[in-house]
Amino acid sequence: MSFQEKNITVSLTTSTLILGYFIIRIIQLFQSESYNSTNVFRLWGIVIGLTIITTILGTILTHIVSAIIEAIKTGEENPKIEDFEDERDQLINLRGTKVTYIVLSIGVFLSMLAFVFGQPPLVMFSLLILSGSMAQVIGDISRLVLYRRGF
Amino acid sequence: MGKSQISNNIRTLRFLNGEMTQQQLAEKVGVTRQTIIAMEQEKYSPSLELAFRIALAFGVPLEEVFSYNPEDESNE
Repeated sequence: MSFQEKNITVSLTTSTLILGYFIIRIIQLFQSESYNSTNVFRLWGIVIGLTIITTILGTILTHIVSAIIEAIKTGEENPKIEDFEDERDQLINLRGTKVTYIVLSIGVFLSMLAFVFGQPPLVMFSLLILSGSMAQVIGDISRLVLYRRGF
Repeated sequence: MGKSQISNNIRTLRFLNGEMTQQQLAEKVGVTRQTIIAMEQEKYSPSLELAFRIALAFGVPLEEVFSYNPEDESNE
Protein backbone atom coordinates (compact mmCIF):
# COMPACT_ATOMS: atom_id res chain seq x y z
CA MET A 1 0.00 0.00 0.00
CA SER A 2 1.46 3.36 -1.05
CA PHE A 3 1.71 6.40 1.20
CA GLN A 4 -1.15 8.09 -0.66
CA GLU A 5 -3.38 5.04 -0.17
CA LYS A 6 -2.59 5.02 3.55
CA ASN A 7 -3.40 8.71 3.72
CA ILE A 8 -6.75 8.17 1.97
CA THR A 9 -7.55 5.21 4.25
CA VAL A 10 -6.94 7.38 7.32
CA SER A 11 -9.06 10.16 5.78
CA LEU A 12 -11.84 7.66 4.97
CA THR A 13 -11.81 6.29 8.52
CA THR A 14 -11.99 9.72 10.14
CA SER A 15 -14.64 10.96 7.66
CA THR A 16 -16.77 7.88 8.35
CA LEU A 17 -16.45 8.38 12.10
CA ILE A 18 -17.41 12.06 11.78
CA LEU A 19 -20.36 11.15 9.54
CA GLY A 20 -21.47 8.54 12.08
CA TYR A 21 -21.11 11.04 14.93
CA PHE A 22 -23.19 13.59 12.99
CA ILE A 23 -26.00 11.13 12.23
CA ILE A 24 -26.12 9.88 15.84
CA ARG A 25 -26.18 13.43 17.21
CA ILE A 26 -28.97 14.47 14.83
CA ILE A 27 -31.05 11.43 15.87
CA GLN A 28 -30.38 12.25 19.55
CA LEU A 29 -31.46 15.87 18.98
CA PHE A 30 -34.70 14.68 17.37
CA GLN A 31 -35.40 12.18 20.15
CA SER A 32 -34.78 14.72 22.91
CA GLU A 33 -36.85 17.30 21.00
CA SER A 34 -33.93 19.74 21.11
CA TYR A 35 -33.56 20.00 17.34
CA ASN A 36 -33.17 23.78 17.29
CA SER A 37 -30.92 26.27 15.56
CA THR A 38 -28.49 26.61 18.49
CA ASN A 39 -27.82 22.87 18.69
CA VAL A 40 -27.74 22.31 14.94
CA PHE A 41 -25.28 25.17 14.31
CA ARG A 42 -23.15 23.99 17.25
CA LEU A 43 -23.09 20.57 15.61
CA TRP A 44 -22.09 22.25 12.33
CA GLY A 45 -19.15 23.87 14.10
CA ILE A 46 -18.11 20.61 15.76
CA VAL A 47 -18.27 18.66 12.48
CA ILE A 48 -16.30 21.27 10.51
CA GLY A 49 -13.77 21.71 13.33
CA LEU A 50 -13.32 17.94 13.70
CA THR A 51 -12.86 17.56 9.94
CA ILE A 52 -10.07 20.16 9.84
CA ILE A 53 -8.30 18.83 12.95
CA THR A 54 -8.51 15.15 11.95
CA THR A 55 -7.31 15.93 8.41
CA ILE A 56 -4.17 17.61 9.77
CA LEU A 57 -3.58 15.05 12.52
CA GLY A 58 -4.30 12.17 10.12
CA THR A 59 -1.63 13.33 7.67
CA ILE A 60 0.93 13.76 10.47
CA LEU A 61 0.02 10.35 11.93
CA THR A 62 0.30 8.67 8.51
CA HIS A 63 3.78 10.17 8.08
CA ILE A 64 4.90 8.94 11.49
CA VAL A 65 3.43 5.44 11.12
CA SER A 66 4.81 5.10 7.55
CA ALA A 67 8.27 6.15 8.76
CA ILE A 68 8.16 3.61 11.61
CA ILE A 69 6.99 0.77 9.32
CA GLU A 70 9.63 1.67 6.72
CA ALA A 71 12.34 1.87 9.40
CA ILE A 72 11.41 -1.60 10.67
CA LYS A 73 11.30 -3.00 7.12
CA THR A 74 14.58 -1.51 5.88
CA GLY A 75 16.47 -1.21 9.15
CA GLU A 76 17.45 2.37 8.27
CA GLU A 77 17.39 5.12 10.86
CA ASN A 78 15.95 7.75 8.50
CA PRO A 79 13.92 5.83 5.94
CA LYS A 80 12.77 7.47 2.74
CA ILE A 81 8.98 7.74 2.38
CA GLU A 82 7.46 8.22 -1.06
CA ASP A 83 5.11 10.95 0.12
CA PHE A 84 5.16 12.98 -3.10
CA GLU A 85 2.31 12.92 -5.60
CA ASP A 86 3.23 11.72 -9.06
CA GLU A 87 1.03 11.99 -12.17
CA ARG A 88 -0.98 8.85 -11.30
CA ASP A 89 -1.68 10.10 -7.77
CA GLN A 90 -2.73 13.50 -9.14
CA LEU A 91 -5.04 11.90 -11.70
CA ILE A 92 -6.67 9.65 -9.09
CA ASN A 93 -7.01 12.62 -6.75
CA LEU A 94 -8.65 14.62 -9.53
CA ARG A 95 -11.15 11.84 -10.31
CA GLY A 96 -11.90 11.41 -6.60
CA THR A 97 -12.51 15.15 -6.28
CA LYS A 98 -14.88 14.96 -9.25
CA VAL A 99 -16.88 12.21 -7.52
CA THR A 100 -16.90 14.26 -4.30
CA TYR A 101 -18.28 17.31 -6.12
CA ILE A 102 -20.95 15.28 -7.94
CA VAL A 103 -22.21 13.79 -4.63
CA LEU A 104 -22.02 17.19 -2.94
CA SER A 105 -23.93 18.85 -5.79
CA ILE A 106 -26.70 16.23 -5.59
CA GLY A 107 -26.82 16.73 -1.82
CA VAL A 108 -27.04 20.51 -2.12
CA PHE A 109 -29.78 20.14 -4.74
CA LEU A 110 -31.77 17.77 -2.51
CA SER A 111 -31.42 20.09 0.50
CA MET A 112 -32.70 23.01 -1.56
CA LEU A 113 -35.53 20.82 -2.81
CA ALA A 114 -36.45 19.92 0.78
CA PHE A 115 -36.59 23.64 1.58
CA VAL A 116 -38.71 24.36 -1.48
CA PHE A 117 -41.16 21.64 -0.42
CA GLY A 118 -41.77 23.26 2.94
CA GLN A 119 -39.14 21.74 5.23
CA PRO A 120 -37.69 24.17 7.80
CA PRO A 121 -34.28 25.79 7.08
CA LEU A 122 -32.69 23.65 9.82
CA VAL A 123 -33.44 20.50 7.84
CA MET A 124 -31.80 22.10 4.81
CA PHE A 125 -28.67 22.96 6.84
CA SER A 126 -28.55 19.45 8.33
CA LEU A 127 -28.84 17.90 4.86
CA LEU A 128 -26.07 20.21 3.61
CA ILE A 129 -23.55 19.04 6.20
CA LEU A 130 -24.73 15.43 5.78
CA SER A 131 -24.14 15.56 2.04
CA GLY A 132 -20.74 17.22 2.57
CA SER A 133 -19.61 14.42 4.90
CA MET A 134 -21.05 11.74 2.61
CA ALA A 135 -19.36 13.30 -0.41
CA GLN A 136 -16.00 13.13 1.39
CA VAL A 137 -16.52 9.45 2.25
CA ILE A 138 -17.67 8.47 -1.26
CA GLY A 139 -14.81 10.48 -2.83
CA ASP A 140 -12.26 8.65 -0.66
CA ILE A 141 -13.80 5.26 -1.52
CA SER A 142 -13.63 6.06 -5.24
CA ARG A 143 -9.95 7.04 -4.86
CA LEU A 144 -9.15 3.75 -3.15
CA VAL A 145 -11.07 1.81 -5.83
CA LEU A 146 -9.07 3.58 -8.56
CA TYR A 147 -5.80 2.73 -6.79
CA ARG A 148 -6.77 -0.95 -6.50
CA ARG A 149 -8.60 -1.50 -9.79
CA GLY A 150 -6.50 0.72 -12.04
CA PHE A 151 -7.76 2.87 -14.90
CA MET B 1 -12.00 -3.53 -16.41
CA GLY B 2 -8.93 -1.57 -15.46
CA LYS B 3 -6.62 -3.22 -18.00
CA SER B 4 -5.13 -0.71 -20.35
CA GLN B 5 -5.05 -1.02 -24.14
CA ILE B 6 -1.44 0.01 -23.96
CA SER B 7 0.88 -2.87 -23.21
CA ASN B 8 4.51 -2.51 -22.22
CA ASN B 9 7.79 -4.35 -21.84
CA ILE B 10 8.95 -2.55 -18.72
CA ARG B 11 9.50 -5.72 -16.72
CA THR B 12 11.59 -7.32 -19.52
CA LEU B 13 13.57 -4.13 -20.09
CA ARG B 14 14.31 -3.83 -16.38
CA PHE B 15 15.64 -7.38 -16.44
CA LEU B 16 17.77 -6.65 -19.50
CA ASN B 17 19.15 -3.51 -17.90
CA GLY B 18 21.10 -5.23 -15.16
CA GLU B 19 18.01 -6.39 -13.27
CA MET B 20 17.07 -2.83 -12.44
CA THR B 21 14.65 -2.72 -9.51
CA GLN B 22 11.24 -1.04 -9.67
CA GLN B 23 12.47 1.47 -7.10
CA GLN B 24 15.53 2.36 -9.20
CA LEU B 25 13.40 2.90 -12.29
CA ALA B 26 10.89 4.92 -10.29
CA GLU B 27 13.65 7.21 -9.01
CA LYS B 28 15.11 7.56 -12.50
CA VAL B 29 11.83 8.68 -14.07
CA GLY B 30 10.48 10.60 -11.05
CA VAL B 31 7.43 8.59 -10.01
CA THR B 32 6.57 6.32 -7.09
CA ARG B 33 7.30 2.58 -7.13
CA GLN B 34 3.52 2.00 -6.98
CA THR B 35 3.13 3.71 -10.36
CA ILE B 36 5.78 1.43 -11.89
CA ILE B 37 3.95 -1.59 -10.42
CA ALA B 38 0.62 -0.32 -11.82
CA MET B 39 2.19 0.15 -15.27
CA GLU B 40 3.76 -3.32 -15.25
CA GLN B 41 0.39 -4.81 -14.35
CA GLU B 42 -1.11 -2.68 -17.16
CA LYS B 43 -3.45 -0.97 -14.73
CA TYR B 44 -2.21 2.46 -15.66
CA SER B 45 -1.25 4.09 -18.96
CA PRO B 46 1.42 6.74 -18.42
CA SER B 47 1.39 10.23 -19.87
CA LEU B 48 3.36 10.80 -23.03
CA GLU B 49 6.07 12.62 -21.08
CA LEU B 50 6.49 9.76 -18.59
CA ALA B 51 6.50 7.24 -21.43
CA PHE B 52 9.38 9.14 -23.06
CA ARG B 53 11.24 9.34 -19.75
CA ILE B 54 10.94 5.56 -19.30
CA ALA B 55 12.18 4.93 -22.84
CA LEU B 56 15.08 7.31 -22.18
CA ALA B 57 15.90 5.51 -18.92
CA PHE B 58 16.27 2.25 -20.86
CA GLY B 59 17.96 3.95 -23.82
CA VAL B 60 15.51 2.54 -26.36
CA PRO B 61 12.88 4.08 -28.67
CA LEU B 62 9.38 4.59 -27.28
CA GLU B 63 7.83 1.85 -29.43
CA GLU B 64 10.18 -0.72 -27.92
CA VAL B 65 8.68 -0.04 -24.51
CA PHE B 66 5.02 0.58 -25.30
CA SER B 67 2.60 -0.78 -27.87
CA TYR B 68 -1.03 0.02 -28.53
CA ASN B 69 -3.54 -2.83 -28.98
CA PRO B 70 -6.69 -1.41 -30.59
CA GLU B 71 -8.21 -4.92 -30.99
CA ASP B 72 -8.68 -5.02 -27.18
CA GLU B 73 -10.86 -1.94 -27.55
CA SER B 74 -13.11 -3.55 -30.18
CA ASN B 75 -13.54 -6.68 -28.01
CA GLU B 76 -15.09 -4.68 -25.15
